[in-house]
Amino acid sequence: MAHCGGGPGPAAPREASSVESHFQGLLDDDDKYRALCGAFGYLQQQEWPDLSGACYAAFGAPPPPGTSNGAGNSFSCSGSASSGGGSTKRKPDAYVDAKDDCKRPRGKQQLCDPDEAGAAAKGRPEKAKACARKKPEPAAAGQKTDYIHVRARRGQATDSHSLAERVRRERISERMRYLQELVPGCDKVTGKAGMLDEIINYVQSLQKQVEFLSMKIAASNPVVNFNIVDDLFGGRRMNQACGPSMTTLPMHQGQLDPSCLQMSSATMQQMQQPAAGFGQDMLVNNPYPAAQSAPPSAAATPVSMSAAASVESCLDVNGAAAWDIASQHLFSGFDAQFQPVQSDCLLDNLKMEM
Amino acid sequence: MSSRRSSRGAISDEEVNELMSKLQSLLPNSRRRGSSQASTTKLLKETCSYIKSLHREVDDLSDRLSDLMSTMDHNSAEAEIIRGILRS
Repeated sequence: MAHCGGGPGPAAPREASSVESHFQGLLDDDDKYRALCGAFGYLQQQEWPDLSGACYAAFGAPPPPGTSNGAGNSFSCSGSASSGGGSTKRKPDAYVDAKDDCKRPRGKQQLCDPDEAGAAAKGRPEKAKACARKKPEPAAAGQKTDYIHVRARRGQATDSHSLAERVRRERISERMRYLQELVPGCDKVTGKAGMLDEIINYVQSLQKQVEFLSMKIAASNPVVNFNIVDDLFGGRRMNQACGPSMTTLPMHQGQLDPSCLQMSSATMQQMQQPAAGFGQDMLVNNPYPAAQSAPPSAAATPVSMSAAASVESCLDVNGAAAWDIASQHLFSGFDAQFQPVQSDCLLDNLKMEM
Repeated sequence: MSSRRSSRGAISDEEVNELMSKLQSLLPNSRRRGSSQASTTKLLKETCSYIKSLHREVDDLSDRLSDLMSTMDHNSAEAEIIRGILRS
C-alpha cells in the first residue's frame, strides 16, 4: 500500500499529466475541467495547491483532509498493476448529493482509474465500471457527513438509480435503528427479519393492551363509554377483516359487562340511571322508529324515556326479560350480523347473574 | 453490493417481504390504502408513529382507568363488581 497521490513518487506527476491531457481532450470547457479536477482531488497535488481550494469552494465542499498537508489521503494506492506507471490508484472518496450535478464529474472520474492512467487516450466510460472494485474505501470521513447525503465508495455504481437506491436503503436502515430504540428487546436480535418479527409482536401486544384497557374502562363505566365500546366494535370488525385469528369473544364480554353490572346493582336508583344512559345511546344509535321499542302509551316521549320506563316496569316482573328487550333495542343499532350472538350471550350472562 | 445481498440468501429476502406485509396489515392506515404495497421507508415510518400513538393510548387509558377506580371506591356496590370484573 503506497501513497502516490501527493507524495513525491514518480508515478504521480506522470499520471496526473496524462489524465490532464486526457480530460482536456474530453472537456473543452475550462470551468468544467477545473471542477472535474476538484472533484478528483487532483488539485491536491502540489502542481495546483492554490487552485484546489478555489475549486473545492466552488463545489461548496470543504477540501478533504489530505489537502492541507498534501498527503493525498484519498489517493491511497492499492498494490501495483503490471507496469510501474500503471499502479492502481484509488478513486478519491468522493461525496455526492444524489440530486447534485456533482454526479456528472463523478461519473467521468472513473476514467482516471488505474488502467486509464496508463492508456488514457482510449479511456471509455464503460471501462470504468468494468474495473470498478468492490473493496470499500477504509478512509473514513465521519466529520463530513453533515453535508453529504450519499457517499459513493470505490466500485459503487454512480448512476442516478444506484444513488437513489443507496439513499433509500440508508433511510430504511435509519428507520430500523429508530424502531430498534422504540421496541424493547429489539436490540438483541440481529438481522432484519428478526427485528421485523419483534416489531410485529410488539405492535400486536400494544394493540391488545389498548383493547384490554378500553374494555375495562368500558366495563367499569357503562354510561359514558358506550360509544367507546361502539368504536371498539368497529375496530374489532376491522381487525377481523385483516386478522381472523383474533376472537370476538372478549369483545362480547366487554359489551356485556355493563349490563351484568347493572343487573347486579341492588337499588332501583342505580337501575334507573344506567338505563337512561342506554336510552340516550339508543336515541343516537337506534335507527328504528321510537314506536317500535316503546309501549303505545309512551310513543310520544323520546326513546330514552320510553326505554327507561319499559325497563323499569318490566323489572318488577322479570328483570332478565326487560334487559333482554333493552339489549335487543340497543344492539339493533349495530350490525345485524352481530345481533343474535350478542343477545344470546347477554341472555346467558344475565341468567348467570340471576 | 448486489452480490453481497444475494449471498445472504433469497429466503431471507422473501421472509422480510412477508414480514413487511404482515406489519403493514397491522397498521391502521393499511386498510385505507388497500392492498397496495407501500414503500419500505414509508411503512417503517408509519410503524414508528403508530407505535408511538399506541404508547400514548395505553398511557391515556391507564390514567383513565385509574381515575375511574379512584372515583368509584366510594359507592361500594358498584366498585365491588367492577373490581371483580377487573380481576377476572
